[in-house]
Amino acid sequence: MNPLFGSSAIARRVVTAAAWVCYVFLLVPSLIVVPISFGNAGQIEFPPREFSLALYRQFFTDPAWWGSMVQSLFVAVTTTALALLLAVPAAYALARSNLPGRGLLRGLFMMPMLVPVIVLGLGLYLQFSDWGLLDTTLGVVLAHVMLTTPYIMISVMSGLQHSDVALETVASIMGASRRTIFFRVVLPQLGPSIAVGALFAFLMSLDEVVVAYFLTGTDSMTLPVKMYSSIRWELTPVLAAVSTLLTVLSLLIALGIIALQRKTEAQS
Amino acid sequence: MTSSSLSLDHSSAHPSAQSSGATSGLGPWSAILLLAPLTLLMLGILLYPLGLTVWTSLYDGQLSVRAYGELATSTLFLKVLRNTIEIAVTGTLVSLVFGYPVALHLAAQPPRRRTACLIMVMLPFWTSILVKSFALVAVFGNQGLLNQLLGYLSGGQVNLPMMFNRVGVVLGMINFLLPFMILSILGSLLALDRRLVLAAETMGAGALRIFWKVILPLSMPGVVAGVLINVTLSIGMYITPALLGGRQDMMVANLVDFYTRQTLDWPAASATAVVLLAISGLLVAMLGRVRGGGLPGGAA
Repeated sequence: MNPLFGSSAIARRVVTAAAWVCYVFLLVPSLIVVPISFGNAGQIEFPPREFSLALYRQFFTDPAWWGSMVQSLFVAVTTTALALLLAVPAAYALARSNLPGRGLLRGLFMMPMLVPVIVLGLGLYLQFSDWGLLDTTLGVVLAHVMLTTPYIMISVMSGLQHSDVALETVASIMGASRRTIFFRVVLPQLGPSIAVGALFAFLMSLDEVVVAYFLTGTDSMTLPVKMYSSIRWELTPVLAAVSTLLTVLSLLIALGIIALQRKTEAQS
Repeated sequence: MTSSSLSLDHSSAHPSAQSSGATSGLGPWSAILLLAPLTLLMLGILLYPLGLTVWTSLYDGQLSVRAYGELATSTLFLKVLRNTIEIAVTGTLVSLVFGYPVALHLAAQPPRRRTACLIMVMLPFWTSILVKSFALVAVFGNQGLLNQLLGYLSGGQVNLPMMFNRVGVVLGMINFLLPFMILSILGSLLALDRRLVLAAETMGAGALRIFWKVILPLSMPGVVAGVLINVTLSIGMYITPALLGGRQDMMVANLVDFYTRQTLDWPAASATAVVLLAISGLLVAMLGRVRGGGLPGGAA
């Protein structure tokens, strides 16, 4: 029985049909790259006429491709580390102090999510061309740290909300210093939320294209920028191999985040 | 995941933290020390470039609003603005028309099946926008899967141009927007009291009447939030129109890029960006009033 549609079988069928059209439309683009990627190296074809790893070989032997992948991984790892260093203490301070103006600061920290990326891309382009940071790895990393900290803040602040303040109070009464409390009591409880934030930040940085497109050039090009110009100008079949690799990586990260979130929910 | 955690005030959620503030609360100086690095980053890498953009739009030797005046009379800008509104509205409406049944379908499933279906909705959410754009070309392009199929069925008669034009942009747009719409409406549908539906049915209302009189009105908060999120996300879209549209489908974000790199007219680029910032700020404020929360991220 299905209380949302009443007992009308027609209504149920119409809704089900429309829903499945959407499921297919949403799923197919994420999945179709996989069979294409094992096809012939000559052109994009589906279904592929023969099975081969030629596109992957092409990807890993072309320095322009795998070089930008290495660059992207480096940027994403550095970004994640720096963003954690900045966002975790800030989230802790926002949650556990009575400082006036906290609301304002929280708004400032969340702002990167609310400003259209193209506006940030242009602003940073103007700023970094003044500062000589265009086409440098440092420039992209700084921009990505700014873009990803909100996601770490959100995850860590919700973790702090679920963690037990009483434990901190007890530790404080027992004479533990602020530093000891943070490292021995707070951080261990926050582990999963920090990991969720870190994975999210890593994925965001790895996938980010608009700001990176404004800030990078031939010396510091990241994988999404390389993919963007390739889709735009040549549409090479290697894209299918890159896409498959990226999708598998995103899925692994998504599964990791879901597993960690289950864990935090089970704890609280 | 973002809205609920954003809207809650973290200190007031824990009364115990307040009452024992002297022992477990953080002193003002330690708090300032912990907040300073991120605040500096946001001042230097977020507010400064935004300020610089506003400044660039207003300054050419002296303060003036000439850049804005030129935009207001530029046929290119006005055409692009019209494109942007048309595409954002079309994309949002299509996403609403298709997203609503999906939300209904999800809400009607038993929990385990709902999770399975939700994974199908969330998968594209996790997929890179570039991967999706490439895949959409592979499916809907002139040599794509769908046209191959159509050509085969019609003996080579039919070939629909669905990429590198308005249809392509809207297809890419709704592929990106649908998950946000679905999740927003689903939230409202799961919250509504099903006994009302049963009551309406007992009183003899048919399926359509139940939908119009009970389900739709009660799910309006989710619909309004979903529509606002969709419009906000689509108005700043850059990748989709650049990769899936034709020359005629340029949107505001693409115009910013065009002024910056093609014509090197930085005041015009900045003024365009400020206009976009103002529009999306307005939409975010409206969304905040509707939901008392923020926006799930991921605008590309």
